[in-house]
Amino acid sequence: MSIINITLIVYVLASIAYIAREIWRSAGTRWASLGLLILAFCLNLAMVAKRSIEAGHPPFSNLYESLVFYACCTAFIYIIFEFAYNFRVVGALAAVLSMLILLYATLQDDTIRPIMPALKSNWMLVHVVTYMLGYAAFGISFVTSIIFLVVKPFAKKGKEGKEAEEGKEILPRNFDKLSYKIVAFGFPFLTLGMITGAVWAKKAWGDYWSWDPKETWSLITWLAYLVYLHTPLVLPKMNINKSKASVILACWLLVAFGIVNFTFMGLSSLPSAADSEHIYGSK
Amino acid sequence: MKNVKLNQSQINLAQTNQQLQKDSNKVWQFFCSVKLAVVIILVLVVACILGTVILQEKTLDAYTAKYGYGLATFFRIIQLDNVFHSYWFAFLLVLLCANLICCTIKRWRNTFLQTGFILTHISIVLILTGGVVKLQLGIKGGVNIYKGKAVNYFLTQEINRQGKLDYVKKDLPFFIALDDFILEKNEPKFQLVSYIKSKDQQKPLDTKVGKKYRVPGSDYRVTIKDYIPDAELKQEPINTSDKSDNPAIFVKLFGSDKATAEGWLLAYDRNSYEDKKQNLRIEYIWVPSQQELDKAINSIGTANAKLSVAMSGKETSQDYPLDLNKVFKPEGTDYTVKMLQYVLNYGDRRPIGEQPPDNPAIQVEITGPEGTESRWVFEKFPDWDKMHPAKYKNLKITCSGIAGTYMAKNTVRIYQTPQEKQVLVYIKDKQIAETVPWELEKKYTIPDTGNQVMVSNYFPSFDFKKEVVKKSDQVGMPAVFVEVEGPSGKIKDWLLSSNQYATWYPDNNFALVYESTGESIKHFISKIRIEENGQTVAEKSIKVNDPLTHKGYVIYQSSYDPEAGNFSGLQIVKDPGIPVVYSGFGALCFGVVFIFYIKPFLRKKTKKEVEE
Ligand code: HEM
Repeated sequence: MSIINITLIVYVLASIAYIAREIWRSAGTRWASLGLLILAFCLNLAMVAKRSIEAGHPPFSNLYESLVFYACCTAFIYIIFEFAYNFRVVGALAAVLSMLILLYATLQDDTIRPIMPALKSNWMLVHVVTYMLGYAAFGISFVTSIIFLVVKPFAKKGKEGKEAEEGKEILPRNFDKLSYKIVAFGFPFLTLGMITGAVWAKKAWGDYWSWDPKETWSLITWLAYLVYLHTPLVLPKMNINKSKASVILACWLLVAFGIVNFTFMGLSSLPSAADSEHIYGSK
Repeated sequence: MKNVKLNQSQINLAQTNQQLQKDSNKVWQFFCSVKLAVVIILVLVVACILGTVILQEKTLDAYTAKYGYGLATFFRIIQLDNVFHSYWFAFLLVLLCANLICCTIKRWRNTFLQTGFILTHISIVLILTGGVVKLQLGIKGGVNIYKGKAVNYFLTQEINRQGKLDYVKKDLPFFIALDDFILEKNEPKFQLVSYIKSKDQQKPLDTKVGKKYRVPGSDYRVTIKDYIPDAELKQEPINTSDKSDNPAIFVKLFGSDKATAEGWLLAYDRNSYEDKKQNLRIEYIWVPSQQELDKAINSIGTANAKLSVAMSGKETSQDYPLDLNKVFKPEGTDYTVKMLQYVLNYGDRRPIGEQPPDNPAIQVEITGPEGTESRWVFEKFPDWDKMHPAKYKNLKITCSGIAGTYMAKNTVRIYQTPQEKQVLVYIKDKQIAETVPWELEKKYTIPDTGNQVMVSNYFPSFDFKKEVVKKSDQVGMPAVFVEVEGPSGKIKDWLLSSNQYATWYPDNNFALVYESTGESIKHFISKIRIEENGQTVAEKSIKVNDPLTHKGYVIYQSSYDPEAGNFSGLQIVKDPGIPVVYSGFGALCFGVVFIFYIKPFLRKKTKKEVEE
């Protein structure tokens, strides 16, 4: 069995373990789920490393390679956050998300091809790594928003005291705050990714910004999360109550993650894709 | 009283003043508000989406072709054909800047924690200002330089007012000389690709010798048995049996004394040779019996040309000799068939005598219960009617022997039968001039032409023996020897990368192709020199990602002559806004890191200290 299949299976097992942990809440399930996810992450990282050695160049030169790395980053960001906050259910969906990304990678052409001259740059390395970490954080915020929207109607108004007792534990009805934290964590990565991309474009193509569809859509993505970060300042002034505001923000995160994925993979469907220098599969 | 009046006007003045202040306060509030920020950003998002959904900066013709005249004109008027350089987009950006500046001033506190907020907001103003500088003072274009030449200008592209593409020549304050251009290619790579027709699935396979692969999602197994880095296919004609399955002769044609042409003629395949200059044709005709040979020789013209008519559902067909304008009535049918005309090369406008027999066809007219239908019947494509509309689909008409009606001025027909009877017939101007029996290795003079013809070999059952041989040890045109196992058993074959066709497994559902992944470029490098007043002032080998900067102009490697590699395409950019934009980039990077990482960290720390 190939390493990719094993990784996929371990992701699925981790997801099951997280669900078990949500049901039983024992220390055993806690370590089993986290352990399985870390194992899956390590396998995924090994795939990235293996590919990089086989190809002889940084493993982000086509959609297949980027997706494998993206899956790896998603697991990584989740694991970091699990150490910072007690997440529980999020892990099940995060593992599924990584698994789906990897599964989508298996549908892509995985032949190793020599990279074109423009991709031979250290800026490109920084650019892709920061972008993928940003995207991965947004993936996790997408997951927390889903859980928030699903669980909210069932959540009773808990007492503030109880919440304080549980310390770091975050209840699903507070997942909007968690989403905000993760977006706030990912946004600097997105910003760095965009700026290193611009600097690299200047070096390779002579212009830091040329309104290429890929550039334009990465700006759209950035603006979408910028709106998200500013809206908490607006909504209270518009007589929108807290509970409604958090639903609006969670929905916005679902849309924004859709934009992320379109920017990442969907651009070849645009009519202007044929002229683009940067879209996978257009050249 | 007077006093009171004065007081009254004073009060009025004060009131308007207050009103004014209130109004300006409102404007100020408006420009400070986050609401405005969110609205502007959302409008920008919509504009950006439009700017990628609608093609940008194309010529008017291109828009008209794609969207129609009305929509194209509409796009031009509201500048949707160039969103990012339109007046309204610029207005949005100005509004954004005003908003940013106002809110930053309003919220300005001289505290360290505010650093990130101020930096990010100012950085965006900086980046946009740099962008304006670029648009006003920047310039971007390209020039192709041939090896050994120098230029002191470049060209920029502009869409002019008429919506047409214009090139504008711009002068440079120096010369760029191209001393050399180097194109480095990657070593060619090859891949073995499997294809499953029923699933329309393509998968590349590894080509490690000795490895056995199961093609994912199928029962096919592929084993790589051997590999040659540089292979050549040698085809050697051989005779496989004494039965006359595929008769062939090797014919040599001599001029005055030396051989002018030679080659195999196959009775069932490529059975003729034609020398256009001398108007000489040599044909090899295999006849199954003695009687048919006599018949064939005696009626050289249209003897074998015939039309066959069959009704679907009936076993037998009826044959009719080529006879124009005569009406036939196939037995047991309600149809009549008439041959209208015949050609030797369908679509050829020349008189029939000058047409080569490449695509012979007869035009027939069928009259039946539903009226008449006229159709072409092709000798080489008997199933043409299946794929094309016809009135009487159940009537299958084919023809044969029409090619045989063709004759060059001088024709030599070499006849052979299984009974060892063999004659050579020389036909001149469609008349038999001579008939002689022929033997192997004997020369026969063709009268009037000064040529001689000889049959030097005969294979009753002609075939090719294929052999793959190694040409060299370097990777050139590699080949792999594969074994495929599947539902129809095992097959083995050589796959050559020089052959672009697929090799099919007997069940016609699985195929393999061994192909090059395409030649790819590793690097392209231009050795350029900057000359001022005839003196070299700068020199560099530029490549993609490594440009040369001189006097504010940055010179990039961007393309090259794809055919001969004779010229190098350089891009030339001047952008005085760069320092402003890059300081904006720096401020933005530091600002976001401060807001989202440093500030929360500092806050936590102060909180803890307070608690303690
Ligand atoms: C990377 C980009 C940006 C970041 C990180 C950022 C961050 C922030 C932060 C942290 C605040 C709150 C300040 C505080 O509470 O003291 C703020 C306020 C604000 N931002 Fe931004 N911002 C960014 C871009 C923009 C842009 C592009 C606009 C568009 C005009 C904008 C408009 C505003 C406005 C109007 C406020 C003031 C809110 C108020 O006064 O209540 N920001 N921004």
